[in-house]
Amino acid sequence: MNPRRSYAAGTGLFILLGFAALAYLATQTTSLVNFDSGPSYDVTAEFTSVGGLKDRAPVKMAGVRIGTVKSITLDQKSLDAKVTLAIADRYNQIPADSYAKIMTSGLLGDQFISLSPGGSPDNLKNGSVIANTQSALQLEDLIGKFLTSGGSKSASGSSK
Amino acid sequence: MTDTSSDSAAVPLVQVRGLTTVLGGKKVFDALDLDIARGRVTAIMGPSGTGKTTLLKHITGQMHGDAGQVLVDGEDVARLPRESLYVLRERIGYLFQNSALLSDYNVFENVAFPLRQHTRLQEDLIRNVVLTKLQAVGLRGAALLMPSELSGGMARRVALARAIVFDPMLILYDEPFVGLDPIALNQVLKLIRTLNRELGITSVLVAHEFAAVREVADHVHLIANGKRVASGTPAELAKGDSPWTAQFFGGALEGPVPFQYPAPPLASAFGFPGVAP
Amino acid sequence: MKQFAARLFDPLVDGLADIGRTGWFLLGLLAALPRGLTYPRELLRQLWFVGAKSLIIIMISGLFVGMVLSLQLYYTLSIFGGTSALGTVIALSLYRELGPVVTALLFAGRAGTAITAEVGLMRATDQLSAMEMMAVDPLAFVASPRFLAGVIAMPLLVAVFNLMGIFGGHLIGVTWLGIDNGTFWSNMTSNVSVWTDVINGEWKALAFGALISLIAVYQGYTAPPTSEGVANATTRTVVTSSIAILALDFVMTAFLM
Repeated sequence: MNPRRSYAAGTGLFILLGFAALAYLATQTTSLVNFDSGPSYDVTAEFTSVGGLKDRAPVKMAGVRIGTVKSITLDQKSLDAKVTLAIADRYNQIPADSYAKIMTSGLLGDQFISLSPGGSPDNLKNGSVIANTQSALQLEDLIGKFLTSGGSKSASGSSK
Repeated sequence: MTDTSSDSAAVPLVQVRGLTTVLGGKKVFDALDLDIARGRVTAIMGPSGTGKTTLLKHITGQMHGDAGQVLVDGEDVARLPRESLYVLRERIGYLFQNSALLSDYNVFENVAFPLRQHTRLQEDLIRNVVLTKLQAVGLRGAALLMPSELSGGMARRVALARAIVFDPMLILYDEPFVGLDPIALNQVLKLIRTLNRELGITSVLVAHEFAAVREVADHVHLIANGKRVASGTPAELAKGDSPWTAQFFGGALEGPVPFQYPAPPLASAFGFPGVAP
Repeated sequence: MKQFAARLFDPLVDGLADIGRTGWFLLGLLAALPRGLTYPRELLRQLWFVGAKSLIIIMISGLFVGMVLSLQLYYTLSIFGGTSALGTVIALSLYRELGPVVTALLFAGRAGTAITAEVGLMRATDQLSAMEMMAVDPLAFVASPRFLAGVIAMPLLVAVFNLMGIFGGHLIGVTWLGIDNGTFWSNMTSNVSVWTDVINGEWKALAFGALISLIAVYQGYTAPPTSEGVANATTRTVVTSSIAILALDFVMTAFLM
């Protein structure tokens, strides 16, 4: 009976180890790590283009992660992208006229939303709309602009 | 089932009727008829390759004939649905030539295996049954050994203990004497006799050692070329009044069983002109 | 000419027939599976046999594969100045591809052959016939627990392999090559997703586990009852399951991701 118990224990250990490894992989090495399950409030911002921004991308202020992108939809009236940001409740002192900008981490990295502080005494709260936004910098546009401005001055002047 | 057996104690337990089986283009059985009487020890003998083991597999329903039928206790084995076949098999003990003990389990668990599979007996009851059966084959002391630690004769006795754990109505012995030294042979002979005489278990043994068979068998069927060529008590067969028994029990080189495997004439095989088939 | 054609097509027909017979065997096995579940003790024994006993080789291999990945990918990424993505690339290569495939190949060699040899030996020594004679269905008692154990063990082994791979990659990337620890993890955690990466890899593991244990049990079950027959069946298990794994991997990658 003794050997039977030892292999049963070994098998149990193997199963536990397997599931522990799976749980570790799933929660500690994936974007689940960034998933802030704490209380948060929602703020919306409209962008003319979100580029490659994805759901659950980080929202940062001064480089510190303060929330995540909750949803990205198209506003049928303005035909702009409407992005809902979930900001952690503990960050409740953010000026209402803050400036939202879609940035890229590194040259080819993922995109995220960066908030730059404004000067208003009022703070963002649930349902607020961020009025000042700057869309994603499209690499293609940038290159196009560079080429046209370098190629002919008149063309860039007329487009202005 | 008890009805049929009590009504017809005289009806043979196993009736093979017109059994014809073709395996790989070769007719193993050709309209074979034979009976196995209840409560007796019947030996089935014959030259190697005549399908003696195959016949046992027909009785247990592991193989089916192409024509004819095999009745065991009045039931046509080939027609039985799986569940009924398994119920029938629980009443048949089968001793394999190489014992076929489960190598993962020790002697005790091997003998307990059928009990654990088909009953919900209490552990101490299982223990009592198993130790009783092991005592009967003289191996109670070996209960905790693994099959790999047993000699051939011991393994066969353990397999026998396992075969009788349900007190079957029929035991099929497939070559029970092969590879045993004289002492082990006598032990197995004694066990076959004891199980038959004291428990009344009908026994069928497939063998070709006539000396051993005449010690235990009440009746012998001699099979060759897919047919039953002789039947009778060992004493009758030993007298050898047919060419088959003369060759088989007398050991003559030529007879009804040819020395040469069927082949075209030698001359044509060597390619001599004019004799090509 | 005719002989040449025969020599060309006979193995092909044999191979197709083998696939067909394995398919039929699978149907019988699936039908016996519910009855196989009535032998939990056998399942536990087989989990020990194919799972727990494969753990050491899987852990060591995972560690080395992670370490090699780290070195190779660091070199490649440094060409593009993207070494900060090392953690991401290691994790994605492991979870989506190398973890399931390498674990499956090791599993076929370690557990698949053991299953074939064991079942083949049971066939050769009439143990399977003996079970049938004792009114125990060997498909339920022998084949099902081994099949299920393979299906259960593989995803767990793949998780362990991946974990060791990440540790190995971290060891080389951070400790040796000097990538910032925070960069390594944060880049990984922001780009690796649970569903499309970790779980998709586990689906592969599940499919490979079923495939390997099916082939291994089938080969053992149908092995000719001689020592040569069992030896050949063991070889066939490794060859067949390796090819089947890689082919199925392509199909699953194309459809899943």
